[in-house]
Amino acid sequence: MNEQLVTCTALTKRYGGKPALRGVNLELGRGRIVGLLGPNGSGKTTFIKILVGLLQPTEGAVLVDGQSIGPYTKSIISYLPDRMYFADWMRATDLFDLFADFYKDFDRTKAMNMCASLGVTPSDRLKSMSKGTKEKVQLVLVMARKAQLYLLDEPIAGVDPAARDFILGTILTNYNENGTVMISTHLISDIEKVLDEAIFLKDGQITLHDTVDNIREQEGKSVDALFREVFRAHNFEGGAF
Amino acid sequence: MFGKLLKYDFRSMFKQFAFIWPAALALALVNRFTLSGLDSTSTVGETTAGIAMLVYVAILIAMFIIAVIFVIQRFYKGLLGDEGYLMHTLPVKPWQLVGSKLLCAVTTTVINVLIAILSIFLIIPWGMEEFRDIFRGLQYVFSHWNIQATHGIIFVAELILFSLVSFATGYLQLYLAMSIGHLFNKNRVAFSVIAFIALNAIMGTLGNIILPPLGDLMEPAFRGMSGITAAHTGIWLLIAGSLILSAVFFAGTEFILRRKLNLE
Repeated sequence: MNEQLVTCTALTKRYGGKPALRGVNLELGRGRIVGLLGPNGSGKTTFIKILVGLLQPTEGAVLVDGQSIGPYTKSIISYLPDRMYFADWMRATDLFDLFADFYKDFDRTKAMNMCASLGVTPSDRLKSMSKGTKEKVQLVLVMARKAQLYLLDEPIAGVDPAARDFILGTILTNYNENGTVMISTHLISDIEKVLDEAIFLKDGQITLHDTVDNIREQEGKSVDALFREVFRAHNFEGGAF
Repeated sequence: MFGKLLKYDFRSMFKQFAFIWPAALALALVNRFTLSGLDSTSTVGETTAGIAMLVYVAILIAMFIIAVIFVIQRFYKGLLGDEGYLMHTLPVKPWQLVGSKLLCAVTTTVINVLIAILSIFLIIPWGMEEFRDIFRGLQYVFSHWNIQATHGIIFVAELILFSLVSFATGYLQLYLAMSIGHLFNKNRVAFSVIAFIALNAIMGTLGNIILPPLGDLMEPAFRGMSGITAAHTGIWLLIAGSLILSAVFFAGTEFILRRKLNLE
């Protein structure tokens, strides 16, 4: 087991000529909850997609548990994408079968229990489920794994505040304690209380990476307040009008 | 892991064809009984036979069209669409994803052909007499077995192999075209179609450049062969050519999925 869970060196991604990530250096340890914070278009999704192997970096290197991205790293990463990824004809139980087949760390009993507590009937066809229910199924799939790294891309963006707390509760009570959870979002106030570390991503570069306690101590303000200050240029709700 | 991928691809195939395969066979059986209406003088019998035959032929055609659509959809939606978020984050290698889809596609086609052949046998109203005739014929062939019969069997086997490889080549050309289309940020479907046409044009041009000198080169060798050896050699050359094309298409598709993947 490598000491650092994630190591990125000079990670750069360009789409065509347009840079989405610009020389990201990052080391991430185990057993913590990390917020990947930045406004829309700052490179959060690109960064996560590189970690899960859905994108190849243009330059630089990324290691997860000391290995470059491949079947091994995919087997220890549990990824919640920002969209639905399943075929409509399936039932949630079909997906449980699939996950149990491909991921050794998938706990079926836990998945069924989570469904019960989230009010999802796993034998229903996904086609007949509401968008919110489908999101819950996807969350169950991701959190019922005992993964080393959970990458959750905007898990709370599309839901109402009550559901937000519920989802955060699910994440907190179900993740593997030796694993690291990285949550990308621009809604910081909702998750600040659960974070150990925060990473600020701005225009494809990391401008800050520290523990939440240190940030509060040194800056004398909450991460949310700091975020609003740092990213004020992107805030069109303020005094510009 | 490859076996598990196959399991899920085959499961979705059987779901897709769960209706049409039994339907084709059932309609063949219906035709077996209505077909005699053609000889009868009754207009009702004739019309029924005509309609039954029409529906049967339509369903066979539909079966093959659905197969091609199925092959395209399984690749496009399954690997390049939203489902790709699931498939490409499974702990498998990209070549396994392509290989599983390909094996499933070729198997689908083979089953389609088998169903079509079986349905024709079902339509013909065999009696005991016909079975006896077939049996006698086979008996005759086996009791008078000679080198021609051996060659015949080998030819059939070679042609079946060639068909299988050709199907694979065709499907891989579709895969590569869709993968190339995927490299563009907009109008991916349109660029996939253009890529498919462009691949055809490239193959045609390369064929025109490579084949004539290759033919000249091999002509002396062929001249020394008996007709039957030349025919076997010819089929194997075709198979080899298809395999080379398949390998190139497969490698191109795998490279794009491994290095250039960019799901929307």
